Amino acid sequence: MKSVLKRELLLNIKSLLIWSLSVGILGLSCILLYSSMEGEMKEMADAFSNMGAFSDAFGMSTLSIATMKGYFATEIGAVHGLGSGMFAAIIAINIISKEEDGHTGEFIYSLPLSRSKVLTAKAICVAIMLVVFTAVCTACYLIGFNILGEEIPNDEFLTFMARQLLMNAEVAGICFALSSFAGKNRMGLGLGMALLFYAFDVMGRVIPDLKDYLFIGPYSYANAAEIFTGAEVESKAIILAVILLISGIAFAFWNYNRRDLAS
Amino acid sequence: MKENVIEISHLTKSYGKARGVIDVSLNVQKGDIFGFLGPNGAGKSTTIRSMLGFLKINEGSIKILGYDSVKDHEKILREVGYMPSEAWFYDSMKVGDVIKYAADVRGLDCTEEARKLCERLKVDTKKKIKQLSLGNRKKVSIVCAMQHKPKLFIFDEPTGGLDPLMQKNFFALINEYVDQGATCLLSTHVLSEVDKYCKNAAIMREGRLTMLDTPHIDDETFLSFYEDSEET
Repeated sequence: MKSVLKRELLLNIKSLLIWSLSVGILGLSCILLYSSMEGEMKEMADAFSNMGAFSDAFGMSTLSIATMKGYFATEIGAVHGLGSGMFAAIIAINIISKEEDGHTGEFIYSLPLSRSKVLTAKAICVAIMLVVFTAVCTACYLIGFNILGEEIPNDEFLTFMARQLLMNAEVAGICFALSSFAGKNRMGLGLGMALLFYAFDVMGRVIPDLKDYLFIGPYSYANAAEIFTGAEVESKAIILAVILLISGIAFAFWNYNRRDLAS
Repeated sequence: MKENVIEISHLTKSYGKARGVIDVSLNVQKGDIFGFLGPNGAGKSTTIRSMLGFLKINEGSIKILGYDSVKDHEKILREVGYMPSEAWFYDSMKVGDVIKYAADVRGLDCTEEARKLCERLKVDTKKKIKQLSLGNRKKVSIVCAMQHKPKLFIFDEPTGGLDPLMQKNFFALINEYVDQGATCLLSTHVLSEVDKYCKNAAIMREGRLTMLDTPHIDDETFLSFYEDSEET
């Protein structure tokens, strides 16, 4: 199983580097832009905080984007949320199905390993990649704060990164389950799902009738504006995330072990 | 009497409503090179893929080397060298890495045997998989199937894409391993291969298996199975 894990990590390392550095450096660039925009942002912050539901959706009614904390929560929070969600979806939705899609299934599954062991190695690979992705982005953001000499509340920042990691894991868990169906490349579906979850969260914050159902989406407990303003997270959102994550992985194992493999 | 390495009993496998194989029973004894003939879609690959656990069988049972194909799946794969009809690997990997990977997953150091096989089959281990032709990918697949010196070889149309010299080397290698106690199931369309190398043979048609009295059948008898198949 170790060999499969090592091989999966090697096969995915390029994708990991591209995505983590792209999102991390984009976030870092946004942080560095803060100093050049700081003066002009006071007026912008006033305007943005008075845009009703739009301000609520992006947290600009509770946080001022004229402060580093508010700027990070509204700008980099969105960049990281979208980028990490898409990365999680893409790697998880391909990791099982790629064997049949690329016709490598007959090679890997003719080696003396059960399907469960191969899937375990693949699930661990996804988990490691998400952790490394989060670590690289965290390092990039911290470098940005250090360059600007700005302070950001550590607790809130680390809570945000940890909740984003959980959100990534939940998205990956759902996509891992989808990947266990007959092997076709479903990258489009993965990307679509990440964007759909994000859109659901934005709509849920704009449309009052949807607010009660916001907790269903994985972005609900990872919202930067709420975390940086100390808003309580609904525990049912976290519980549902853990349930969906575990159910997604369990379903993938069950489904993959019961079905025929394509040649 | 020699022990049975493969024991298939009343195997039935369907794909939804589509026919796979129907009530196939087959025994292959230790030391045999068993020819497995049949037209495209007759059920040869379905039988092989059921033996290796890629497919979930509907009815019947399969025993390989005395192990149950469902319960002892991993044990069977440890003792089997399989070469699929289409040899696909990860494009970005080098040939040497693929061969080592297959050995590593088995927890074996097959360096010496792999080196010998690569030399005999003229495999360039430094090339990337994506640079290889079908024939060269098949040679990599042969090395992966043979390097751990398995007790049973299962080859699914192995010689397609191989040049005549490599085909000769390939069968020489099979004979050497069989002389050392291995067994070989050879699925093929090439009657001359069965005639020349196999000790026993069976032919599949429309999902059903017919044992042949001898692997040395003439072209007309052989083709009659294909013609009947096309007519039905």
